Amino acid sequence: MRYAPLGRLGQERLAASKVLVCGCGALGSVLANTLARAGVGHLRIVDRDFLELNNLQRQVLYDEHDVASGLPKAVAARNKLQAINSEIEVEAVVADVDHTNLAELLDGVDMMLDGTDNFETRYLLNDASIRFNIPWVYGGCIGAEGQTMTIVPGETPCLRCLMPESPPPGTTPTCDTAGILGPIINVIASIEACEALKILSGHRDAINRTLMVFELWDSRLRQVKLDSLQGVDCATCQQRQFPWLDGQRGSHTAILCGRNAVQLSFPGRQELSLENLAEKLQSVGNVTRNPFLLRLAVDEFLITVFPDGRAIIGGTEDIMEAKTVYAKYIGN
Amino acid sequence: MTVSIYIASTLRTYVRESRAELTSSAATVQEALDQLKREHASLYRSVCDETGAVRRHVHLFVNDDFIHDRAGLETQLAPGDVLAIMPAVSGG
Repeated sequence: MRYAPLGRLGQERLAASKVLVCGCGALGSVLANTLARAGVGHLRIVDRDFLELNNLQRQVLYDEHDVASGLPKAVAARNKLQAINSEIEVEAVVADVDHTNLAELLDGVDMMLDGTDNFETRYLLNDASIRFNIPWVYGGCIGAEGQTMTIVPGETPCLRCLMPESPPPGTTPTCDTAGILGPIINVIASIEACEALKILSGHRDAINRTLMVFELWDSRLRQVKLDSLQGVDCATCQQRQFPWLDGQRGSHTAILCGRNAVQLSFPGRQELSLENLAEKLQSVGNVTRNPFLLRLAVDEFLITVFPDGRAIIGGTEDIMEAKTVYAKYIGN
Repeated sequence: MTVSIYIASTLRTYVRESRAELTSSAATVQEALDQLKREHASLYRSVCDETGAVRRHVHLFVNDDFIHDRAGLETQLAPGDVLAIMPAVSGG
């Protein structure tokens, strides 16, 4: 409140705000923690995952007791956040965000923050942002590298202006194949949270209007101007097509009865190269490949990937777990 | 008369000795990509598709500008310029 640009009025606006924190892993932990302490009045935390011990390296809201408790992340996060600030309202939603539930999750929400670990959900958030005129902040990290961009419908380019198509599955590293250096999470999530404080307190004029790209290990920051993206004929923010929100794009899942397996498929995706994927996954587990499919055996799972990106996750009948395994090792 | 090609850390596994920067005498962005194709084939495959088009999730910057802000692949490179190759990052 004493920070002059925020002031009493800004603080009151924060207290009256409602934010959807989408994903509460590494980025989401820092986002939720920062906003709770800043006094944002209502946080809705949504996450599909459960805690594992190796999450603690970067997911700062949680501790060993939370892992031992077996609680879903959203619930463990809510418990911690309410202990941090009992004056705010924190809702925990244990769910996989998809086109069937996002509109409901956005009920009354002033803005969304990106704590996700995959592009599929980010395109869904971007569709909803433009469709319902709700600002959001994109943030992504891998290794020591992170990127963030603030999206205000009608004022800034959107995620799809920046990146018209998501990377074909398996072509980009994931936290589980390339690792992630803890501090880059704090850098990116702190910028995302600060952008939220600006927007929620009524200071849209102060938002970051660049793509910020950090390479923390090399101590490099690039602030790339987005001017050239303004006014491109973007399918989302200019043509107002919302294929992820309409359910035409995104994963289509099915539990394979009696096989202890879940199939994930992604209509409309580009072909992926099994050869490149095999190269990427060599260090992760046992990889075998023929021209038609690639198999990765890792932990208790047998993951079978086809060139169209379709995958069968053996070792589970839980769709959320299968999606988590896919995001971990194949990436999307 | 050299420029630098800065490789995002996630792509360095495709570069010998995982180098962060390569030097080049390329006069344009396209010439720099042609050099990658000759000298660092697996890195090139991560940046460009089979038709030679830059993959749509890979950003190319010259210094702090998108190449679209300049002349795209025909953007001229001056001595001391840095061409950065940065794919989108999905973790979090």
